[in-house]
Amino acid sequence: MVEMLSISQLSFSYTDTENNSVMPMSFDLQAERGEILSLIGPSGSGKTSLLNLIAGFNQASDGKILLDDKEIQQFAPAQRPVSMLFQSHNLFPHLDVFTNIALGIRPSLKLSNEEQQAVGEALVTLGLEGFNKRKPGQLSGGQQQRVAIARALVRQHEILLLDEPFAALGPAMRTELIEVLKELVSRRKMIALMVSHQPTDALLASKRTAFIDNGGVTSIQETADLLNNRQRKEILNYLGPK
Amino acid sequence: MHKPGKSAYPVLAILAFMVLAPMIALLTVPGTSFIESESLAFWKSAYLRRVLIFSLWQAFLSTVLSISLALIVARAFARHGKFPYRSFILKLFGLPLVVPAVVAVFGIVSVFGSGGWIPLGRSLYGLNGILLAHIFFNLPLAVRLLLPAWQSIPKQHWKLAQQLGLNSWQQWKYLEWPALRENLPGVGVLVFMLCLTSFAVVLTLGGGPKSTTLEVAIYQSLRFDFEPSQAVVLAVLQFSLCAIVAMFSFRLQKLPEVEITSSSLQCPVDLKTLALNSIILLVAVTYVAMPILAMLVDALNGPILQVLMNPKLWRSAAFSLIIGLSAAMLSVLAAWLILQSSSDLYYIKQKRKAGYLEMVGSIVYVVPPLVIGTGLFVLIAPRFNVFDWAIPIVILVNAMMGLPFAIRSLGPTMRQNKMRYQRLCESLNLKGWDRFKTIDWPPLRKPIGLAMALVTALAMGDLGVIALFGTPETTTLPLLLYHQLSAYLMSEAAVTAAFLLGFCLLVFWLLEGLIGGGGDA
Repeated sequence: MVEMLSISQLSFSYTDTENNSVMPMSFDLQAERGEILSLIGPSGSGKTSLLNLIAGFNQASDGKILLDDKEIQQFAPAQRPVSMLFQSHNLFPHLDVFTNIALGIRPSLKLSNEEQQAVGEALVTLGLEGFNKRKPGQLSGGQQQRVAIARALVRQHEILLLDEPFAALGPAMRTELIEVLKELVSRRKMIALMVSHQPTDALLASKRTAFIDNGGVTSIQETADLLNNRQRKEILNYLGPK
Repeated sequence: MHKPGKSAYPVLAILAFMVLAPMIALLTVPGTSFIESESLAFWKSAYLRRVLIFSLWQAFLSTVLSISLALIVARAFARHGKFPYRSFILKLFGLPLVVPAVVAVFGIVSVFGSGGWIPLGRSLYGLNGILLAHIFFNLPLAVRLLLPAWQSIPKQHWKLAQQLGLNSWQQWKYLEWPALRENLPGVGVLVFMLCLTSFAVVLTLGGGPKSTTLEVAIYQSLRFDFEPSQAVVLAVLQFSLCAIVAMFSFRLQKLPEVEITSSSLQCPVDLKTLALNSIILLVAVTYVAMPILAMLVDALNGPILQVLMNPKLWRSAAFSLIIGLSAAMLSVLAAWLILQSSSDLYYIKQKRKAGYLEMVGSIVYVVPPLVIGTGLFVLIAPRFNVFDWAIPIVILVNAMMGLPFAIRSLGPTMRQNKMRYQRLCESLNLKGWDRFKTIDWPPLRKPIGLAMALVTALAMGDLGVIALFGTPETTTLPLLLYHQLSAYLMSEAAVTAAFLLGFCLLVFWLLEGLIGGGGDA
């Protein structure tokens, strides 16, 4: 058994209702456990669509998603071993930090002692001790994203999808959170796919980065190599000349 | 430093006169004062107690039923993004806003009256009929006011709900209820206020000793019992109730804009829920469409030519049109003058003052039209023949009734124009007419067209103050229809009702198209 996420010929047609156009997409990629694979590429290239397909928010017309050789694409979003973080609106604003995290374990919020303890441990791991009664509005942007990561932790799912989760944060906070994330993914042997518009984030977070363009993965390389690669036209267009 | 304009002052002065003069008259004119012994006895009467309790009870029941049903319908609507003819249904739900109350009442009688499609017999008249009519008006309004709450839920939350496996109840609890909670009290108070001051519905479907509200009792005291002192007591009581409800309303404030896109949510539903949602929507659509359809069917079977050949109909139509257009022009002008000043205040960051200024335009919610009418009646009666003043009074009161709509329609664009272009216009020395035609008018065209169309249609279909002051010589279409209904001339009434509805819709469509046509808001 190969311990990895493997996506092959995962197909989807994106319909742009405003322009009345259809964009066919097909993705192939692999990511290993303990790895954060960054996804970069121009707007509208299909990065978020790929995450939505893996999470089950969009239904693929063809292809496979294998986690450790087991197919997962037939499952509903709640049954997939996937947690997803967005750029914003990851938390319910009227619920406190503890409840926002606890929802990840049991939506009915009837937690056992062990489960309550798990929430407490996640708070400690993410440096959020003492914040459990606070509402999201009382937290900074970085703290809010930490709470969302804590929820992903307590869910204990193997795949973590990150859709520009740090885009709204300042450079210091981004660096700090990326370090937290790297440590967690590595320690828990998770597989993380991170969409980012900042090449520096990819460089900091990922050994490997995939370039997505026109509804497909056009290249997967060592991050530093990919960011220095101006021979490919689509990468040159996206990153600009050195 | 930019100084706030004073354009609102004349409007405020007129509004103050229109509210204070009748109120002072109600409280002080000899022979009618509400604290005189005759009035004091009336304060303690069982009749007054019964009227007061019924007014509150019918408004409470109407609100609870309309809002509860609206929540069910709005939820089905919000979660059923691909329901066929979605935008058509949204337009249909906007129709009760322009359907004259007396026309809707006729439709409800056609459906639920004896011989109707779903006959309820005599039990239609009284509380049952009033509730059915109030639900007809307020269910679609509440649906349209509540729907934006669903659209305010971030799409990421729906994705989270899917990922966390939240069931329908948990989605309601964690996503939908928190979004609705802010708007619900405001919508509830608005519906309560509309039902508390509802006149035409109660006059036509209630009105008996058991089902009379304060508004109708005022009318009966003045026009049938000739008891101005009694009317004064009732008017003071109605004013006090409305002031209390308005205070709640102003405290709550939170009322969403009635602007709904036809986009759907990303919330997946199973087949069973989909079927249930479809049934709920079909029932709601049928309920709103049925009275209008029934009225049209009755009209087609009625003496069309005979009614259309009657000069009374055309004279009434002319009066209605004059009242509607004049009220709308006054309303839009007043709104524009108020908003000029309030936009200036917004511009210099005095938002609270600006808010208060715009709130004055909604004074009609605190002092209901019939209370103003009663005050004017009491004020004018000792000096002049009140009925000679019918048309100007009805125009002024209808203009006041339309003012909140006009302010709501023009407000956002006028504020936006001020914030975006004021500095640029000052630097280009663009002001007065030049500024209006090149900068302000293009984006204002559409909201002005909508405000003109809406206020005209509302005033044309209003059966309120005209019932107090109207005479055979100054009869409007709604009053003519009411007279036909009172005389049980049902087939003639059907044709008049269809004519009135068609006339209102035609004028609405023409004004919105002609004035608002090419503008982009």
